[in-house]
Amino acid sequence: MERITIALAKGRPAKSTIELLKKTGSRFQDLHEDSRKLLFYNEDNTMKLIFVKALDVPTYVEKGAADIGIVGKDNIMESEADVYELLDLQIGKCMFAVAGKPNHTVPSGKPLTIATKYPNVARRHFQKKGQEIEVVKLNGSVELAPIIGLADYIVDIVETGNTLRENGLVVHEEMDAISTRLIVNKASFATKSKEVQQFIQQLRTAMEG
Amino acid sequence: MLNPYNNPNIEEFEIKENLMSVIKKRFSTYGYQQIRTPAFESYDMYSNITGTVSKGEMIKVIDPSGDVLVLRPDVTIPLTKMISKSLLREQRLFYIQDVYRQNSQREITESTQAGVECFGENSPFIDAEVIILAIHTLRDLGLKNFKIEVGHAGFFKEIIEQIQVTGQQLEQIKALIQSKNVIEMEPYLSSLTISTEAKEAIRQIPVMYGDPETVIQQAKELTLNENMENILQRLMEINELIKDYNASDYILFNLGLINHMNYYSGVIFQGFVGNVGMPVLMGGRYDHLGEQFSNSVPAIGFAFDVDLLLQARKQQGLNISVDSAADICIFYDQNRQKEALSMSYELRNYGYKVITNITGLPAKKHVYFSGDRSPYLGGNEKQPFTTMEELLQLLKQNEGEQN
Repeated sequence: MERITIALAKGRPAKSTIELLKKTGSRFQDLHEDSRKLLFYNEDNTMKLIFVKALDVPTYVEKGAADIGIVGKDNIMESEADVYELLDLQIGKCMFAVAGKPNHTVPSGKPLTIATKYPNVARRHFQKKGQEIEVVKLNGSVELAPIIGLADYIVDIVETGNTLRENGLVVHEEMDAISTRLIVNKASFATKSKEVQQFIQQLRTAMEG
Repeated sequence: MLNPYNNPNIEEFEIKENLMSVIKKRFSTYGYQQIRTPAFESYDMYSNITGTVSKGEMIKVIDPSGDVLVLRPDVTIPLTKMISKSLLREQRLFYIQDVYRQNSQREITESTQAGVECFGENSPFIDAEVIILAIHTLRDLGLKNFKIEVGHAGFFKEIIEQIQVTGQQLEQIKALIQSKNVIEMEPYLSSLTISTEAKEAIRQIPVMYGDPETVIQQAKELTLNENMENILQRLMEINELIKDYNASDYILFNLGLINHMNYYSGVIFQGFVGNVGMPVLMGGRYDHLGEQFSNSVPAIGFAFDVDLLLQARKQQGLNISVDSAADICIFYDQNRQKEALSMSYELRNYGYKVITNITGLPAKKHVYFSGDRSPYLGGNEKQPFTTMEELLQLLKQNEGEQN
């Protein structure tokens, strides 16, 4: 058996993924979501687990630094990585949405200013609609942008809508549904077929159980 | 002392040269001849061709007369242009050249491609032989754990021709197939108004992957017309030929393979080496590309990404650097200069790597001309000689002892 490397997103989503991994029967020493360690091996050394920044997971997998990645669809879409997307883990469900002040309008023909952590996602979405936009890339507190007039709208992930409501914003358009996905490097799929398939099967079984 | 031969640049260059010479040798044993294309090509040649390098990827240059040129982004296009305008349509060519692209972050990339183009014949025999050449070369390079994924550009195109979809919908379908995204394929297909048979075929494409015979069996159930049956027939013939070459272990079928180069018309393939994330080679049949210049020419080819091959060999511990030390260093006193220099010239004539009066570089053997004594070969004991023949004899003996 060849060893497979699995990249997981650090932080909040890791918790439910770790739960799921435990259910598959693979044991990783010291593995819990509060650990500061970034690298773990399972008991028989057939699996290596690495924790990286969520947006980097698709990049690690595309370049082959990891065979498999478990990460949110939002990051897969933003990275535009060329990978296989084989399984929906049905966790971390939310959606991309265009949001802004309730009565905000922009004269037609004028480019929209969009504040977002996801510039690629925003560009693709509006390009499809034939709407020109200018992107303001922000790294957090995106909801502030329409309020202080930095942008017309925001493109962001919306889970419960609470953050939007508390800041007086509403969803103007629902975009893609998001959840945690399993992605696979294309070379690993060809050269480590057996190992990769087996891991996916284990996860499937764990999800049903 | 600092050894300039340990310069990593020199070492990398040498390793790359060695790898390229292995590739060259193998390409030529299949009857291919090396060729070069200009570094600067006309921008129009690339931009007028559909389904090739995208405009944003090319690095443009303006010449003094105001014409736009590009720094060679690919080699297949100019070679096809050359052959389609030539009277000699049956040619086997290979190249090892740098290509230049610009990615979406506007970074310029330079990479070395080693590729072959086989012009003049369209047959399953040639298809298989070209795939075998790729496998043969990867084996020459000592690589373990590699696979060639084989698909067909026509299979997907045939399905698409049966259905009415917009350009955007087609792009979405392609993206879902390329990422084998079965999860999102299902809901997306149900939103389209296309025939149930076509839906079923598109739904199955991503999973038609793996053992050739199994894939062919699966695909047979989904054929929508005679063309698709012919395509599967062709793939089966190629698979039989690959079996005759005893190379089945390296082959996987992947009918979900869609190359972003749109000019492919027949069999397409890509090669992966374990632990290298990107394909180390890509290729396929492109019989209609020539029409865009003047005459249609049957053609098939592929190119290795040399830098990825180097990375693959490094990961498998195969990049052994060559012995860079000189064979002989001749030390001489001023009064013996004439003898020493004429001897160095003659030794180099015999193919020995010779340096003179240099202490800073490593050498395996040392020859001394000092004072009025006869010259001698250094070592555990001094071995004097008087003629060139005697020295050659001594050198051979020493080599024999070392082996």
